[in-house]
Amino acid sequence: MTAVSPTAPQQKKQPSIFSRRFRRSTPGKVGAAIVAVFVLLALLAPILKPYDASSDRNYRLNLKPPSVAALWDKDVAEEYRDPVTGQVNPWSHLFGTDNLGRDVLTRVWHGTAISLKVGVVSTVLALVIGTLVGVLAGYFGGWFDSVTGYLSDVMLAFPSILLAIGFASIFSADNPPLLVSAINSLFVLNSPQLVTAMLAVSLVQIPVYMRLSRAVVLGLREREFVQASGALGATQIRTVFKHVLPNSLSPLIVQGALSIATATIEVAALGFLGIGAQPPLPEWGTMISDSRQYYVDSPWTMIFPGLAIFLTVLGFNLLGDGLRDVLDPRSTQ
Amino acid sequence: MGSYLIRRIARTLLVMLGISLLVFVFVRSIPGDPATAMLGERATPQAVKNLRTQLGLDKPWFFNPTNPLDAQYPKYVSALAKGDLGSGIKSNIPVRDELGSRFPATAELSLAALFFALVIGLPAGILAALRRNSVWDNLATTISLVGVSMPVFWLGLLLSYFFAVKLGWLPPSARLGNESTLQPITGFYVLDGILRGSPADAWDALRHLILPAIALGSIPLAIIARITRSSLLDVLGQDYVRTARAKGLSQRSITLKHALRNALLPVVTVIGLQAGALLGGAVLTETIFSWPGIGSWVYEAISQRDYPIIQGGVIFAALVVSVTNLLVDLSYATLDPRIQYR
Repeated sequence: MTAVSPTAPQQKKQPSIFSRRFRRSTPGKVGAAIVAVFVLLALLAPILKPYDASSDRNYRLNLKPPSVAALWDKDVAEEYRDPVTGQVNPWSHLFGTDNLGRDVLTRVWHGTAISLKVGVVSTVLALVIGTLVGVLAGYFGGWFDSVTGYLSDVMLAFPSILLAIGFASIFSADNPPLLVSAINSLFVLNSPQLVTAMLAVSLVQIPVYMRLSRAVVLGLREREFVQASGALGATQIRTVFKHVLPNSLSPLIVQGALSIATATIEVAALGFLGIGAQPPLPEWGTMISDSRQYYVDSPWTMIFPGLAIFLTVLGFNLLGDGLRDVLDPRSTQ
Repeated sequence: MGSYLIRRIARTLLVMLGISLLVFVFVRSIPGDPATAMLGERATPQAVKNLRTQLGLDKPWFFNPTNPLDAQYPKYVSALAKGDLGSGIKSNIPVRDELGSRFPATAELSLAALFFALVIGLPAGILAALRRNSVWDNLATTISLVGVSMPVFWLGLLLSYFFAVKLGWLPPSARLGNESTLQPITGFYVLDGILRGSPADAWDALRHLILPAIALGSIPLAIIARITRSSLLDVLGQDYVRTARAKGLSQRSITLKHALRNALLPVVTVIGLQAGALLGGAVLTETIFSWPGIGSWVYEAISQRDYPIIQGGVIFAALVVSVTNLLVDLSYATLDPRIQYR
């Protein structure tokens, strides 16, 4: 018993360094809180307020301002007065309604799950593919390194949104390829166009991870523990996956959090340009795109979806900064 | 320097070739036949076939066994090398001409956005580094965080709503007022107004430029402020800065003469990298502000599936990005004499 006890606190130390450093990072805490709130909202949406975007219409209440205004504004109160009971409920449409009389709050709320799924899935795909290619290129070098380096040079020469537009316009929505339909049903997105946009954004991010992981591996390759692994007779594949890869994860995780933010903005931008999610899907970028005809008189149709994008992206950016404080302290000032 | 220059330019040309290949394959993978798109759905099969022959679409993509150069890609690359990008399907105007006439609009907007980003971002970053952990530092950090988190298209709509619709201070769209009679010389309307000796026109053009430039400049601003801060902090911690301080130089002199110049190298890199971001952001910004540049043109082409325009616009954007990166790489030697190209 006594021989075991000294090692026990040693093992517990590892996670506590992480959480102790993370708790000292204000951006990290704020970011984690924002992200947690949005994840919670996304999970609760289908339970608390089931929603069917395709049947949601209410022509009596179209383009009405946020209903709280009824508390001080008589005109707004008049618009929200129930014709049968004569009652006014100032909490019925907190974010107002859009051109089809749909509750903006409900739609923004249900858009949360879409944006989170799309941001996370596209980032994870890019991270896995890009890291794998980059690690192999960095570790083995040679022609594989040259070819992948050249490919990432070519891809990085395009403004990312234009490259994403190019990728997204290749696939036909009526007859989506197997990969698109598979991802579509796997993540219950119900929109092949959205999946296409997501893949496009993901593809654009791949060279970023290729470069990053390659650079990290180049630094690791000559370190003693990697050479020791080879000297002990480990195969190269084993060395890469057991020793090199786990030690190069920190900067990749930091970049991952930051690129969920980028991916969220870019998918919304594609939706705004009419290439991503299609109406009536409550995707935030598409909602802002819809509002362009009405926002002059009904700014709430544009303000709230945009605010949701902004807050989500802010949350992931802060979380990324916080993770950098923790995992990569040398790079922070 | 000489051999480095040649290798660097060769690399840029190779990347351009890769770009042309990628765009070529893209455009041909887009569902739908360009000949059918040009003639409309009701065209006879014979007419479609004739047009396909005329456009060279019946040829193999990369390699023709009977005549190796008689294939689509070699022809396309040789046309590209001559600057021929084809013509728009709907308008039938050569893509090159339209690119030329729209480029000044995008360039004016991008330069104005970059100017805005530098004028705010650079001092903010410097101030934040000099007064570390002060109110100014927190303010600069917050601004840069908000800047990178703000979707450009939403910021554009917000600016347009508050400053054009609500307050009526600035115009919401276009480059000039309706009654303007400005005759362009350079295509940069603010400059043209001055050159024509008409301050009213220059002012009109400037007022139209402000909102789109702020929207487009928000992300570069954030990035420039952030990089300037961290780079200057890094330099201020170096030994030679301590030496300069030890020999009694004023803080002002240390900052301006010793630290700033060295701290600007990463900032220049980042400014160069913004070329791509500005052109990408122009698609969104120009669409919102009805700015008649390349971005809004490409956006319209996407919705109309006008492939030669998409192809031309994308290749042009990639060319601008590659050339900017080349210039940035070459400018290092001027900024930091220690860098020797071999």
